[in-house]
Amino acid sequence: MISLRGVTLTYPNGVRALDDVDLEVAKGSFVFLVGHSGTGKSTLLKLLYREMRPTSGEVTVDNIRVDRLRRSKVPALRRNIGVVFQDFKLLSHKTVWENVAFALQVTGANTKDVKRQVPRSLDLVGLSHKSRMLPSELSGGEQQRAAIARALVNNPKILLCDEPTGNLDPSNTTEIMELLQRINLKGTTVLVATHNAAVVDRMRRRVVRLEDGRVLHDDERGYYFRGLGQTQVLSG
Amino acid sequence: MDWGKLKFFLGEVGSNFTRNAAMQLTAIGTVAVTVVLLGAFLYVRDTLASFGTGMLSKIEVAVYLNDDVDDARARTIAVRFAQDRRIWGATYVPKRDGLRRMKSVLGKDFDTSLLTANPFPNAFHVRVRRPGDVPAVAASIAKYPGVAKTDYAADTVTKLLRIADLLGRVGLIMIGLLVVTAAIIIANTIRLTVFARRREIAIMQLVGATNMYIRMPFIAEGLLAGLLGAGLALGILYIARLELVPKLAATIAFVPFHANEPLLAGECLAVGATVGFVASWFSVGRYLRV
Ligand SMILES: Nc1ncnc2c1ncn2[C@@H]1O[C@H](COP(=O)(O)OP(=O)(O)OP(=O)(O)O)[C@@H](O)[C@H]1O
Ligand SMILES: [Mg+2]
Repeated sequence: MISLRGVTLTYPNGVRALDDVDLEVAKGSFVFLVGHSGTGKSTLLKLLYREMRPTSGEVTVDNIRVDRLRRSKVPALRRNIGVVFQDFKLLSHKTVWENVAFALQVTGANTKDVKRQVPRSLDLVGLSHKSRMLPSELSGGEQQRAAIARALVNNPKILLCDEPTGNLDPSNTTEIMELLQRINLKGTTVLVATHNAAVVDRMRRRVVRLEDGRVLHDDERGYYFRGLGQTQVLSG
Repeated sequence: MDWGKLKFFLGEVGSNFTRNAAMQLTAIGTVAVTVVLLGAFLYVRDTLASFGTGMLSKIEVAVYLNDDVDDARARTIAVRFAQDRRIWGATYVPKRDGLRRMKSVLGKDFDTSLLTANPFPNAFHVRVRRPGDVPAVAASIAKYPGVAKTDYAADTVTKLLRIADLLGRVGLIMIGLLVVTAAIIIANTIRLTVFARRREIAIMQLVGATNMYIRMPFIAEGLLAGLLGAGLALGILYIARLELVPKLAATIAFVPFHANEPLLAGECLAVGATVGFVASWFSVGRYLRV
């Protein structure tokens, strides 16, 4: 589903954020992307939704060569990829319902589809009862669920999450991770960049560790710190 | 027709529009001023043009005969007029008629008691088919034996038309500058809206909205500002037309105030819409970087 071959990305200021990265992600898998701050996790995700192009190397998403993709084809790619961020990126003057519907409306969906898909997506994240509320009236966890509902409303094949629980307390973090797991079980490929060791260690999924823009480890059913396992877990 | 889609789109345009209300009003006001001037200018130009051509078509060549030419010899000259195909017709104005005409034009201000003799020579008033031929016809008639001199008012009229033309050019340049100013103000307004909506735009790009879709509300916004400005201007022009033109027409009676008003209104609206559209198109393209 996702494939990076020899991907290098050097920012204009000379920082080499990714250095000869190879990565294969199978359809329907769940992958954690971990590593110290500044090791290139966000940068790697940006390459996948064509926020950036690699300096060299190949990026393939769902059989599309994203690194070579023409500008005019980017919207079609992005309708196939949901993206969720640490800061939710909800529109404060729109209700939850409107925020989720927005993603469909601006891609030209007709009203019938909006009316069918928005409730379905809100239902999936468990926010149907708060659909009329503004983001400011929601807890952090609820806001992130609204953002996930928006990311999923187009039925994307891939969900990319950049620090999705970075602003959340442990119980909200747990809820969000359970939600991501449920979404993955429905067939969506999920990539999560995170610093949260507890979450990674509890879930025991594939863990890709980046270090200075390179893939340091890549373990099936891995831990946040390779080999240390749950002894390192700080809190649950 | 998907009304929900339309409602969403109009809602987006509306919220764009009201976000920078003060700036929008400035943009609308600038367009309005520009279009008022443009409309007034076009109206005056039309009036002058129809005045000028009207005058030209009425131009007669006055042909004054030598004192010794009597009515019989004058008739032989009239025969020559008939042979010139450029000439449409000629009226013979003998001495006595010339004096009478002058009296009737000037009325009682013209005191004939001071005249010891009739100063008017025998004359013809020659009408030419095409105004453009007036100078040539006048010149050739001047060479006829028995003709003292020819005269026509075309000089004044062509001068008037030339002045009108010059004024037209200057006016057009000024209006051009105003149009550019209006365009810059609209472009700036759109840029502010783009800035105010950068979060929405970022999300639209993230979820896969096309560039065209992202642009549309901003372009609609610019178009709306241009049309509202032009509409406002047309309102002002309409009132001015009702109030001012009858007064002017009464003061300067010889100028026929006249213009193709529906056409002018259409031109004004088109200018407003074009300014709004073009300015916002470039502004969004430049500041959106999509
Ligand atoms: N726009 C940019 N211009 C220049 N350098 C950048 C830019 N964005 C990121 N970088 C640099 O690239 C490197 C990788 O950044 P990136 O954001 O991918 O790290 P990260 O792993 O996501 O970090 P964090 O865990 O803190 O989010 C860092 O050294 C960062 O300073
Ligand atoms: Mg990051």
